[in-house]
Amino acid sequence: MPEAAFVVQLDDYHGFVVKKRYPSTLTLTEKALNLVFYEHQKGVEEIQELEVEGMRIASFTADAYPGWTVGFVLGSDEVLDSISKEISGMGRFMLELMSQDPESVDIAEILEKKSTMPSLAEEQLCAQIYLTPSSALLLERLHTEVVESTAKLSMWLKSQVQADSVDLVEAITPLMDSGLVKVEMVGKTLETAFLLKDLFAYRAPPVESFSKAEVVAPGVAAEYREYISKFFSPEPPAVGYNPTLPIDDPNSPILEDREKISKIISNTVQYEVLKSLRERPRSVSEISEHTAFPERVIQNALWAMEAERIAAHFEKQDVWVLITDPRMEVFFPEYVLPVLTRKLEERKVNSDTARRYLELLIQTWSE
Amino acid sequence: MSKLIRSVYILGQEDDVVFSKEYARSESKSDLVEFLVNLAQFLKSVDLEGQTEFMNVSISRIFYAQRDMFTFVFIADKADDTVQIEDKMTQLVDTFMNEFANLATAKQPLDGFDAKVDEIAVTMVKVAILGFAGVGKTTTLHLLRGETLPLVHDPTIGVSIKRLPEEVQNANIVLWDLAGQSRFSILWAKMIANAQVVVIVTDSTLENVLRSKKLVSLVKEEVPEAKVIGIANKQDLPTALTPERVGQILAIPTYELVAIDISYRDRLIQIIRKAILEGKAETRAA
Repeated sequence: MPEAAFVVQLDDYHGFVVKKRYPSTLTLTEKALNLVFYEHQKGVEEIQELEVEGMRIASFTADAYPGWTVGFVLGSDEVLDSISKEISGMGRFMLELMSQDPESVDIAEILEKKSTMPSLAEEQLCAQIYLTPSSALLLERLHTEVVESTAKLSMWLKSQVQADSVDLVEAITPLMDSGLVKVEMVGKTLETAFLLKDLFAYRAPPVESFSKAEVVAPGVAAEYREYISKFFSPEPPAVGYNPTLPIDDPNSPILEDREKISKIISNTVQYEVLKSLRERPRSVSEISEHTAFPERVIQNALWAMEAERIAAHFEKQDVWVLITDPRMEVFFPEYVLPVLTRKLEERKVNSDTARRYLELLIQTWSE
Repeated sequence: MSKLIRSVYILGQEDDVVFSKEYARSESKSDLVEFLVNLAQFLKSVDLEGQTEFMNVSISRIFYAQRDMFTFVFIADKADDTVQIEDKMTQLVDTFMNEFANLATAKQPLDGFDAKVDEIAVTMVKVAILGFAGVGKTTTLHLLRGETLPLVHDPTIGVSIKRLPEEVQNANIVLWDLAGQSRFSILWAKMIANAQVVVIVTDSTLENVLRSKKLVSLVKEEVPEAKVIGIANKQDLPTALTPERVGQILAIPTYELVAIDISYRDRLIQIIRKAILEGKAETRAA
């Protein structure tokens, strides 16, 4: 376990501000903080190791927390390679907690319990698409075009949002990060975007959680079933949630709802709570134990999820359940093949591009 | 950034002063408190509907707001930006009502409130000092701080951040002395973020001044709102270009300096003061 740790923020006015440190006697000079920051600016790695002022410091930063760094002072017998996963997990955990509830960050406890948080899950990467309006627009465009030069996509996007300042890179990055789209040079000059996966954001019935409820919380099972039924298949004439309605249908829940569920999924604490509740109903303290986040932070996350009709609370039994299970489902876009054939026939794509597209689809889906 | 708030007062139900803090000398305090008590009594007869209002008194502008039993008052300069001060008032009122109102009602000490008020009310101006290695940036920093120069040259690592001991234009000045070695150039864009004034220091040699044109471009791209000034340092050396020539090449207002000569200190502070004022005027005009 690291001997000491600190959380530092580069503030635009005050410079490096050490927000948390353990032990309290840990002293850090401006030079040491500068060097830690500089190492990260040089490279792209989330974790760096540096020897400064007699200390071996492993430091962690992540794009999601700009300006923030966590430093771990390693013991003489510790080798970063063997603990790097743990270090980045603890670093991410501390930074997430700093962003949610700084007062609850207790470095000593985090080090002792080795509380970690994983990097963004695939579902969270997908959620970013619906939180970046131009990305969602681009995805819709690729549903029809399936393969397109980035120059044409950029022009199309500018015409859609009616602004020259729109940045294709910013719009396409969430699509690339989630693996839905790959951008490559075909030949020497043709930068091309390929749609490799499609995405469906919806609320599924919480099947696993409900089946467990009958075992672990039988007292709530009947009422829990009612909650779920009311949402998915209420008594007529009420209309239940139906994610398969086409998005141009006025009753379609997709457009208005996917941004809401994307917000929940992209928030790491709420996502961890969601994962915990997908397994089975739990109390706040059980979720806290399961996720390592403090109860106060869990409680706030649950309230946010309750407001979006994702979680519900049974006060008497003091247990939280999932009433809808937001999902980001990735699937093979079979429709791309006829579109590609047509585009090839109409000479809208050349044979090199078509061949490369098929190779990429095989690589992506062959496992 | 923010404008100056000279003092902050919070009055309670019995028109007692629950909290007060002065950042700059203003009118006689006892007269002022008497005035504020009268103001608080008057405000009880009107409904501000949660808004902040102000009145002009001599060269000052008194901003006031009321929430429940508390009256909040800021004293500021008449020339300062009303909207920004009203924003700060909203922040202060919200912070107090959410976290400290119960303590004040119970006549308990408001632990931690003083620091929160500082965060909201204190005006800070970031002045970044940029230039290539060895041109005298850190010497300029020492000069501004009125410090004795170290005997050994110790190149800056990353950035060195220091405060100016005195206020300039009634604001706290934070000086960011950026390392000039080329390996640290990857930090420059990040480190000058939110600077209101950027001082580009040259050693007045033709080679260095020509190179420094890149810095001017960088600053104009990264912080277009900042006021940029040039410093033609080492004017005591025989090869030094004149400040006029340096300014012509850099295309920014440029001033002469011999950073190792303490007699330049006041002049340099005046230059920064002027840059802050001009920056404020430009922001207002925009």
